[in-house]
Amino acid sequence: MRLEEFIEDFERDEAADRRRLAREKSYEITDHLDDVEQQFERVVQGDSLFGSTAPEIFVGRSNYPDVSTGLLSPMDREADAAQFATSGEWYQQGLGVEEVLQRRTGLLNSTRSAQVNVRDVWDGFVGVQREVAIADQPVDVELGLDGSPEIDLSLDDISTPTGPRARATDATLAENPSVPRAVEKTLEDDDWQAEGAMTYLYRRGFDVYEINTILSAGALGRGRNRRLVPTRWSITAVDDTVGQYLRGSIRNAPSIDEVQVWYNEYMANDYWIILAPGNWEFELVELKAPGSIWNPDGGGEYYMAADSEGYTGRDSYVDETSGAYYASRLAVLERLADIDRQATCLVIRHASDGYWAPVGVWQIREGIRHAFEEGQPAVAETFHDAVRGLAGELPVSLGALRRKSELVTGVQSQLADF
Amino acid sequence: MFKAIVRAERLQSTLDSVGVLVDECKIHLDEGGIEIRAVDPANVGMVDLSLDADAFESYEADGGLIGVNLVRLQDIAGMADSDQLVELELDEETRKLHISIDGLEYTLALIDPESIREEPDLPDLDLSSTIVIEGRDIDRAVTAADMVSDHIELGVDEADGVFYVKAEGDTDDVHLELDGDDLIDLVAGEASSLFSLDYLQDMNKAIPKDAEVTMELGEEFPVKLHFDIAEGEGAVTYMLAPRIQSN
Repeated sequence: MRLEEFIEDFERDEAADRRRLAREKSYEITDHLDDVEQQFERVVQGDSLFGSTAPEIFVGRSNYPDVSTGLLSPMDREADAAQFATSGEWYQQGLGVEEVLQRRTGLLNSTRSAQVNVRDVWDGFVGVQREVAIADQPVDVELGLDGSPEIDLSLDDISTPTGPRARATDATLAENPSVPRAVEKTLEDDDWQAEGAMTYLYRRGFDVYEINTILSAGALGRGRNRRLVPTRWSITAVDDTVGQYLRGSIRNAPSIDEVQVWYNEYMANDYWIILAPGNWEFELVELKAPGSIWNPDGGGEYYMAADSEGYTGRDSYVDETSGAYYASRLAVLERLADIDRQATCLVIRHASDGYWAPVGVWQIREGIRHAFEEGQPAVAETFHDAVRGLAGELPVSLGALRRKSELVTGVQSQLADF
Repeated sequence: MFKAIVRAERLQSTLDSVGVLVDECKIHLDEGGIEIRAVDPANVGMVDLSLDADAFESYEADGGLIGVNLVRLQDIAGMADSDQLVELELDEETRKLHISIDGLEYTLALIDPESIREEPDLPDLDLSSTIVIEGRDIDRAVTAADMVSDHIELGVDEADGVFYVKAEGDTDDVHLELDGDDLIDLVAGEASSLFSLDYLQDMNKAIPKDAEVTMELGEEFPVKLHFDIAEGEGAVTYMLAPRIQSN
């Protein structure tokens, strides 16, 4: 895997814009940040030593390869630390945008800057961070902090938001972390390419959330290639790698035999998934409402983005839909691998203005995963019938959709059909 | 047995016209020349190629079948300058192909033909229109369409007697019309089909700019592109399945 593929340009002021918008949308978040500040003052003792339980880590991407790397731990020591880590359970618990932001603002990001090259680094701050990442339970740690944290909320379309940040002087483990056997195996084998190790963990029942934390800590891959991977890139890298593995597994599978339309709604995002008979072909079309966080001009038009792939996949990183593409593709491929069928698949995501702050691509992944678990699909005669059937529910015209979407324009046939 | 000498340029272009669709293929080594037929893994694009014995500097074969890794064979052939001669000889015992280029010897391990995807039958299609067009006009259409879109519509307006090319992107459109005067020949019937530019671009790469290409088109039907290679001592037919717009 080439990490450069996951790097995109990131404008600082765009990030600031998003924060401002999110605050405007919810004064409660601003109030909540004030509470967080008071809470912090209560928990940190005079010498700035902070005992906590860390469920997750964060690796920034600015300034790569000199990155800011952090341990995330709840400031409320009574809280169940595991609840603060991003996982599919957040969907089951029915978390909304507000709750995600609250949870994450209660999580202190204790950071240090570090070189990403971590081949043999198992001591010091980075060592502790890596231990936390590979452990299967939140780990008790002692953190030395340098001054007060910056109380803020950092939003990103791919990663889960992070809250207050404080500079750490050092970190020590307060317990011996428990590391699952399969993770030890991938860790010890330094001649195992990262892709293979990720796939191995997935097949052993680890979800992508755990795998991307492990990858992020530089604990997978060939020895000389092991480095810290910025959280945002590692999420996409794992979705992509596991997706490619699943796509390979259905390469010769029979096609589904009817056109199905599945639907789910989560956090003011509508998801329609059309599965049609044919070879594997996939497209994500995103429709973002004016006034939503990604399309702030309230009086403007819908923002449309689309990316697609044919039977053999893509040769390059997507142009328009970034991490959402790989997260949605994974969810669909999991379904197809599960029923051992291939299909031509169109996912339409409508982000309405109720989705007022981005919470990360986990929301998309879970929204689509659960579309297949709840209820029965609608059935259509043909792919284009299914699209026409949806037209009334979509916020854009069929003509506009056709111009944007490769699949709505035409579905690839096979020579054997003639 | 198989033993042949061929100009590098001729071998390279032959391999390239198959290599745009598949990474490995079967080659029939018949008395009268070689034949290759292959379909891409998605069963969307197909190639049918023949190169007569006369296209070689020397040629001897008695009807064998070999499986080759095309990517590797293309690499080897690419080592030669275009006017150099490439010698090919099959070792039946070891199932290896010996290739020599001006003192450079390369022994290529062959693939069991049984392990290569089965050769497709040529579908018998009743296509309404025949357009005879220069390779460079196909290149012009494909290049322009690629600027705006991932797909391209090829069609014939029977009443006006024109062959047209349309591509619609997010915002921009490309349209090209060629009438009887621009084309080498046109037998017009109602025809229009949409194709993936990915495939058409690959095929276009293998079509010589000065070739006379016979294109057969129908209504949401595969397109056939036929042209001669090696100064008429060989021929290539491509067939490409359409993207279906209507149902």
